[in-house]
Amino acid sequence: MAEDRTAQIRRGVVEFAVLGLLARGERYGSQVVDELATQPALALTAGTVYPLLSRLLKAGLIASTWQESPVGPPRKYYRLTEAGRSAHAAQRAAWVAVRDALDALMEESR
Amino acid sequence: MITTLDQLSPDTRAAAQAWLDASVAVVDADVREGVRDDLEIALCEGLAAGATPEDLAHLITRLGPVTAEFDRSDADPRVGRWFGIPYDVRPLTGERLKDALWDPADPNLLKPKAFGAGWDLNFGALFVRLGLIEPDAEDEPFTNTPHDAFVIAAGFPALMAAAVVAHYVARGRTLPAHLPHHWDAAGRPDAWTTKGRAAALDIGVATAAVGLAAAAAGSRTHGAGRAARLAVAAALAGGAAKTTVIRPLKGGWWVGPVLVGGIAGSAGATLLGLAWAGRDAERRRDLGSGYSARP
Repeated sequence: MAEDRTAQIRRGVVEFAVLGLLARGERYGSQVVDELATQPALALTAGTVYPLLSRLLKAGLIASTWQESPVGPPRKYYRLTEAGRSAHAAQRAAWVAVRDALDALMEESR
Repeated sequence: MITTLDQLSPDTRAAAQAWLDASVAVVDADVREGVRDDLEIALCEGLAAGATPEDLAHLITRLGPVTAEFDRSDADPRVGRWFGIPYDVRPLTGERLKDALWDPADPNLLKPKAFGAGWDLNFGALFVRLGLIEPDAEDEPFTNTPHDAFVIAAGFPALMAAAVVAHYVARGRTLPAHLPHHWDAAGRPDAWTTKGRAAALDIGVATAAVGLAAAAAGSRTHGAGRAARLAVAAALAGGAAKTTVIRPLKGGWWVGPVLVGGIAGSAGATLLGLAWAGRDAERRRDLGSGYSARP
């Protein structure tokens, strides 16, 4: 049950997490997966990240470009578009408001 | 930010209501009201009182991925699950067939059938696991695949059909009068038909595959539908060619694997080739004409 609840919370923030990572700079697909995998609380896998990247591309929030790689074949890099930057800013503001409200509630309940 | 859609101009409000109606139409009835409330709140948070329909369109684009979470077509009674088995009896489309057969971003090897009950093999996931293609090799599968690649892919069914015809022309007289047309689970023939009927069936299926492939190759519609139709044509032609070869043989355990391999392998190889061509086209677009495809 606790895991279900955690999964529900995660579902709401995966898009925010990916946009947040790309707001730091462009990255290729497996790099996004690897960097998000270092955050155990998010528990994001390739099976979640790639379909999400595909949806964000279709929505115009991110764009992709192939670039030569110093090792191996070219890689597809993702970056935020203007619409993606706006969406990320809006999500960030909403997140901060929710986080502050929850923090205040947690404080009161102590 | 506004507190209710009534604060919008009549044009923008009407457009917003129409979008809300369309968005929740595909959502399960039991959660429809809640989803509508959530979307309405999102609109209120994202729009100002003076927002124009263009502002609304921009916001809706941003909300796209959010609404996709709720976009579950199982509100349609023709789509659903029966004792856990997925079914879909809506008229088949090339786009849905492509989604079932080729979704490399989704790691699930089995996807609900594009038409009928059960599952289709997701060749995209299979080839990602085999390391033959990346999950994000193409932004939108087969959208950038060059026209020439579709034409080349249509050559496979034509080749198989020619092989089937050549087989019956060259060996027709020496073949037995009756040939098997069904095999049991162990691969032993358990039903027979005349040589003429067997030839007519194999050549007919192969020829139909050529027709389907030619139509897909000649079409200038969306790449996904063309790729799906070419995969089906390849599967039919591959199946007909394998059946032609198997009929005069004694049979055995290998019959099933060879037939399934002929059908699935032909479809999978076609989709993989078209995806490689699409990926190379994307790379040439971004890296310049100097880029040459490498394994």
